[in-house]
Amino acid sequence: MKRTMAYAKRNLIEVYRDPLSWIFCIAFPIVMLIIMSVVNSSIPKEAGNTMFRIDNLSGGIVVFGQMFIMLFTAIAVAKDRSSTFLTRLYSSPMKSFDFVWGYILPMLLTAVIQAFVSLCAAFVISLISDYSLNIAGLLLTVILSLPSALMFSAIGLIFGTLCNEKAAPGICSVLISLGSMIGGIWFDVEAAGGFMYNLRKCLPFLYATRLARSVIDMNFGVKEFVLPLIVVVAAATVLTLIASIVFNSRMRADQM
Amino acid sequence: MGYAIKTEKLIKSYKDKTAVDGLSLTVNEGELIALLGVNGAGKTTTVKMLTCLTKPTEGKAEIMGCDVIKDSEKVKRLVGVSPQDTSVAENLTVKENLEFMADIYLPKDKTASAVEKTIKAFNLDEFKDKKARLLSGGYKRKLSIAMAIIGEPKVLFLDEPTLGLDVLARRQLWREIEELKKNITIVLTTHYMEEAQALADRIVIMNEGKVMAIGTLGQLENMTGKKGLEDVFVSIAEKME
Ligand SMILES: Nc1ncnc2c1ncn2[C@@H]1O[C@H](COP(=O)(O)OP(=O)(O)OP(=O)(O)O)[C@@H](O)[C@H]1O
Ligand SMILES: [Mg+2]
Repeated sequence: MKRTMAYAKRNLIEVYRDPLSWIFCIAFPIVMLIIMSVVNSSIPKEAGNTMFRIDNLSGGIVVFGQMFIMLFTAIAVAKDRSSTFLTRLYSSPMKSFDFVWGYILPMLLTAVIQAFVSLCAAFVISLISDYSLNIAGLLLTVILSLPSALMFSAIGLIFGTLCNEKAAPGICSVLISLGSMIGGIWFDVEAAGGFMYNLRKCLPFLYATRLARSVIDMNFGVKEFVLPLIVVVAAATVLTLIASIVFNSRMRADQM
Repeated sequence: MGYAIKTEKLIKSYKDKTAVDGLSLTVNEGELIALLGVNGAGKTTTVKMLTCLTKPTEGKAEIMGCDVIKDSEKVKRLVGVSPQDTSVAENLTVKENLEFMADIYLPKDKTASAVEKTIKAFNLDEFKDKKARLLSGGYKRKLSIAMAIIGEPKVLFLDEPTLGLDVLARRQLWREIEELKKNITIVLTTHYMEEAQALADRIVIMNEGKVMAIGTLGQLENMTGKKGLEDVFVSIAEKME
């Protein structure tokens, strides 16, 4: 545990010394939130379109931000793997557990800060606009978004381990665009049918946003809350497990 | 006293290349040996096998009686390595890099004093709050070596430690190595004959993954009838061609 924490500390320093992580993980979600709210304010009330209303946006923005956490995890891991620093640590008593959680923990912390900051911004916007948000729901979301944060860091870890420094960001960007669409981050396209609908149902992204939206609404119904929570926790667990296996086998392969 | 390092017919072969070819070697505790050899002789590969960075294809190697494959966990606690390529965490400061390594190897109550001591020993005080990526090549290398030492290894591997250091820094590092030598076993690889001559108790000359000669400088001089390591090396190297 001592070594996990030492490595987590190192990675946390790396993240927070990189201005890009502030820009993408903290500032960008807020900017998107503002842009989308401006879009919302320009939609006439009579249209009855609540898609970009702040209560819908805030849930989406939490998951949107976490997708950048995925990107940064992937970049961090891929970059380390291409440097001799990581190889040097292979001859230290650090085990793959220490590496995996050393990458994930600082990202979870970043996700909490990110969710908190984004939801604070959402709250301010809700004060300005005519739709009010529940503070308890917002605070609860910060905590209940941890499973999906874990899920996204694990995905980042998997791609960072499998791809090189050049490919990892590309693949994650594709995932971010795809995830935004099928995760229903900006608009809740649950009504749409066809292939995309089925794909969405099979991937955990949609459940992550649905979960965040329900918690913000303080709606703890089975379909809205319990089911998505189960799906996200299960996905996070499985993906973390896969990430550990992938990292461990990569570490072994590097020593051949 | 037991052997600090013992290898038996150690082989590392890659697809198209046998990098180390049947290395048998024993190093006593507290000894400093220098691995000499032209580029591609297999020095780095030897160091990697002995520090669990790469698995031997065949043969056996033990560090303080622990097998590098079967007891790798134990071996990793015993060895420190400064790789041929400088490797530090670029965005961490000098001090943070050292703290990180100390955290990995040492009990909590010892880290602070170890960091302080190492910064002093390596004259890094002036740079301790500087980010590693902003250091000059030579200082980065010094930091990389300091990171290998801070964990108090029993056996220390220095792969071309003074590459890229200026004359003064090199001499200073020699003094530090002399100091360390009193307590631990050291294997260093180098292309500098003076360095091997100044520091090593015994010298191993490698070529094509094989040991060509091994002994004290005096023994090697007698063997070849030459004076000074440079002439000894040239005479052995030429014989191989
Ligand atoms: N991962 C690898 N895959 C294939 N061949 C390798 C690998 N690592 C090393 N080799 C080969 O093994 C041989 C020995 O390499 P090694 O790095 O041990 O040499 P060295 O003595 O350290 O040389 P130098 O003085 O240049 O550092 C070289 O021919 C090298 O090309
Ligand atoms: Mg080498």
